[in-house]
Amino acid sequence: MVSMTDPLPDRDAERFLRIARMEARGRLTVYLGAAPGVGKTYRMLQDAARRQAEGIDVVVGLAETHGRSETAALLEPLEVLPRGAVEHAGRQLEEFDIDGALARRPSLILVDELAHTNAPGSRHPKRWQDVAELIVAGIDVATTINIQHIESLNDVVAGFTHVRVRETVPDNIFEHAELILVDLPPDALIERLQAGKVYLPDTAGRALANFFTPLKLAALREMALRFAAHSVDRRLSDELATNVDKADFVAGERLLVAVSAGKGGARVVRQAKRLADLLHAPWTAVVIESASARAVRGSQREQLADTLALAASLGASLMTVAADDIGAALVDQARQLRASQIVIGKSRRSRWFEWRHGSVAQSVIRRAKGVAVHVVPLDEPDEKPDSGDGPYMARDNLLAFLLVAATVGMLHLGLPWIALSAIDLILLLPVIVAATRLRLRAGLWAAVAAALSYNFFFTQPYHTFFIHSPAEIITFGVLALVAVVIGGLAGKVRRQAQTSAGVARHNASLARFAGLMGGLSGKDETARVACREIGGLLDVEAIIVSLEDNEIVVRGNDAYSRIDVVDEAAVRWAIENGVATGRDTGTLNASDWQFHPLKTSLGTMGALGLARPSQERVIRPDDAVMLASLVDQTALAHERIVLEGQARQVDALRERDRLRGALLGSIAHDLRTPLTAVIAATEAIPAEGDYAEEVRIARSESRRLQRFLHDLLEASRIEHGTIEPKWESVDMTDVIASVTRDLRQEGPEARVVTHIESDCPFVSSDPLLLRHVLINLVDNALKFSPTASPVDVELGCSANRVLCCVLDRGPGLPQETGALFERFQRLEGGDRVGGSGLGLWIAKNFVEAVGGTITASNREGGGAAFTISLPVPAPRGGQDGSADA
Amino acid sequence: MRKDVLIVDDEPAIRRLLVGALDRVGLGHIEATTAGEALRLAGGSQQPAVALLDLGLPDRDGLEIVPQLAAMGLAIIVLTARDATEEKVAALDLGADDFVTKPFDSAELLARVRSALRRKGGTSSDPQKRSFEGGSIDRGTHTVLIAGALAPLTPREFDLLWALAERPGRVMTHTALLETVWGPAHRDDLDYLRVAIRSLRKKIEADPSRPTLVMNEPGIGYRLASPGDVQGTRSHTVRAAKNT
Repeated sequence: MVSMTDPLPDRDAERFLRIARMEARGRLTVYLGAAPGVGKTYRMLQDAARRQAEGIDVVVGLAETHGRSETAALLEPLEVLPRGAVEHAGRQLEEFDIDGALARRPSLILVDELAHTNAPGSRHPKRWQDVAELIVAGIDVATTINIQHIESLNDVVAGFTHVRVRETVPDNIFEHAELILVDLPPDALIERLQAGKVYLPDTAGRALANFFTPLKLAALREMALRFAAHSVDRRLSDELATNVDKADFVAGERLLVAVSAGKGGARVVRQAKRLADLLHAPWTAVVIESASARAVRGSQREQLADTLALAASLGASLMTVAADDIGAALVDQARQLRASQIVIGKSRRSRWFEWRHGSVAQSVIRRAKGVAVHVVPLDEPDEKPDSGDGPYMARDNLLAFLLVAATVGMLHLGLPWIALSAIDLILLLPVIVAATRLRLRAGLWAAVAAALSYNFFFTQPYHTFFIHSPAEIITFGVLALVAVVIGGLAGKVRRQAQTSAGVARHNASLARFAGLMGGLSGKDETARVACREIGGLLDVEAIIVSLEDNEIVVRGNDAYSRIDVVDEAAVRWAIENGVATGRDTGTLNASDWQFHPLKTSLGTMGALGLARPSQERVIRPDDAVMLASLVDQTALAHERIVLEGQARQVDALRERDRLRGALLGSIAHDLRTPLTAVIAATEAIPAEGDYAEEVRIARSESRRLQRFLHDLLEASRIEHGTIEPKWESVDMTDVIASVTRDLRQEGPEARVVTHIESDCPFVSSDPLLLRHVLINLVDNALKFSPTASPVDVELGCSANRVLCCVLDRGPGLPQETGALFERFQRLEGGDRVGGSGLGLWIAKNFVEAVGGTITASNREGGGAAFTISLPVPAPRGGQDGSADA
Repeated sequence: MRKDVLIVDDEPAIRRLLVGALDRVGLGHIEATTAGEALRLAGGSQQPAVALLDLGLPDRDGLEIVPQLAAMGLAIIVLTARDATEEKVAALDLGADDFVTKPFDSAELLARVRSALRRKGGTSSDPQKRSFEGGSIDRGTHTVLIAGALAPLTPREFDLLWALAERPGRVMTHTALLETVWGPAHRDDLDYLRVAIRSLRKKIEADPSRPTLVMNEPGIGYRLASPGDVQGTRSHTVRAAKNT
């Protein structure tokens, strides 16, 4: 019962991809300070001036001088980008002008105050998103931030300063940033503050002043130092990991964090992120959907969605698991994911509460073997999941009273026929019915009502609540106990049924969706079915948008064939950056649609657009996990269609190649037989008398035809990649002897002189390929050298190579020998000498197939020299096996 | 009447050429176009001594009848394509004596046929003695004479030379030599053979780097040149053709 939104990433592949992507990205330099007033902006501007002096195109996108003259002086020599105007609620607000910056395209841009929140109506809600866009666009950015604005440290800082900073920046922004720590000892900072040199915003003035105690400043400074050191450490290990093999990653740590509804969730997630960073471990956030968690509604549900979103933004993959025993399910997941660490939160509760409800932390610790468990203490206990949905509660209680009243009424009517002792039993009935059918609380109310009615109507003295005998108290107690026990049991059964029904429904929808997606072919059909199904499952309007030749194409929903400009920008952003954009997201949320990129191994295939006519969130918190699965499935379906198309093309190509090969083979065979007869016949005719010359021509031309045919066949083998050397130990002496013997058959004009160094080592090679190479080279040499001069074949060896040279006294080679070994290359109108133009190309391919090299050069004293160089295998034991002989 | 050569080939043109070449040197012949016919003729009254066998036959794979023809006492020369190394090795291991690569040179072909006929007919009277171009080997006395002088062979080299010389001109595959001389356990240790051949050549060849006696067939094996088929084969046959 596991649905995953994100397959566990292959960390290594991801890392390489990341680095590949980074090549084209701008670099981020962050000036990090422990507190306002340490001089970040000043330092940034100083560095910028220096960079400008170095000839780099520096522009100030935005810098806050806070009226300080020495800072303003630094701005003087720099180009400052005008601020952009944003209209909001009739007021003109000034903001950093991202479009101006992108249009200006400097090499380095300064954007102060990374954690700033943009005015409403800006492209991005947060300035760090502007910076991210600049970096993606390939512009280097320098910026400033104080330590307390970093997302994962937010809690810790809030913990000891008692100031909660709302403007936070996600940690992954810093992943590739160069952090420059601007450090100032606390005493000096306090001095500056007292001298009025530190600017504090009016609104937060008093609260921020709380920072400026030596103790807190020292703590903040230590955190900043640690964060900076850790960042350097991580970049170093990034570099190492790209160079070092992946073994340590396979064995590396993996972290699992349990996410629950409630306020503490975010804090546990941040803690997990920090731990994951320290361990350099990938991490997964898991939601255990237990029966009681299912009952969680409304605001808590949204809180859970927010916590999950936080985890995703901090780099976690997300999972939802349905199970009743949270502890067991967590440990089980940890095992499945091979997680080595579990992080869970634990509220401070009374012992009594823990005794009754058990503690997840205890349960995990009891079960986890070989897994480290980190328990994050949470101050505020989670609000108790309110077990009733208000309106239903009242209705249930009313029903319970009515049931009791009806029973009492019937008892009155039937009193003459009913034994008195049976009355209390009959009064149990409405209690049981209320407890099983309604809620536990309704059952209890029914029990109270039944007991009171019993006392009032059926015991003496009648029509009073006077308790006359202890037996009545027992009856009262039994009724209440029955209600509690049955109500508890029934409630549990009902919740379990709901959980499994929910999970079953979820899985059934997903399975149905996957099944539907699997059977489709063609983009239009896939988009149409995907949009129809997703629309139905999530109760939204869905479209699929893709970029084709940089044009936006909308598919899948006949009602929406076009989208407007804002939507287009959101689509492009989603596809280019692989993040969700549009409504309810952090990017371009003015769009009516919410776009989810369809990410596949082939790249982003497009985006799924979702919209809801009403003002609600497009995706209900309950549906977030389901949506992630649907997006994955849709992306997979698109990927499959593309791959199938490619496979069909490859198949067609392969089939064409196969046919061509078969055709060539059969032509070659059909030609070979008659050619054999022709050659044998011309050889049989004595080259004498009147027709001696004609016989010689017939002989040599039929041989030439034979070689040409042979070359064509070999070339087709090379092209089909079917050269598979048959390795054996080869004595080059044998190869040369075999070649000279072959050539001698061709007639006395085969004038080849061999010079062989004795005792050259054997090579590991394919003798037939080598013989073919040598024949081609000698043939080539014979073609080009004058009839009077011989072709020399030399064999020599060095420590680890055997060299075989074929030398001629022909016209030699042109200066540029690079093209020599290519197909259909012949030197200076080779038609004169004949040949297929394939000989050298075949030679090169064969030599390379056996691990050797072939080179061409001009010979001293005129002519060409071709050298084959073959590696000698390292000597093995037993090579001199005949030494005993 | 006894015929020397059985021609087995389904290509009429090739058959006619072979017939012409054999006629010119005065060798008797009979022709078969299928494997079945070949087996019938081989066992018939004409008792051919040598089979020229094309492996691509219409009814059966030529390789299948190699062992049967060999068992009937024929020396088999296989006609194959140049690149069919595995086919050649298989045929030799099944009992063929030699191979000729298509397209063939009729002079070379006739030299092979004569060499095979010599092996069949003129086996030395002494089963312990063999002679080859420029030398002889005697298994009884364990001596090798090269140009009249004793060659100092090690026992292994002697075994190797005997394996090659027992039927001069016949191609022995690498595997066959390794099994005969070193034993079945070493059938794949080609390095042993290469080293031994090199040292043998130093002792019996006039120029070990240009061998003329122990000849290598790349990828297949070795043969010991039989008298008369070393070099100058062309002029040899041309003369023979004129004489007839």
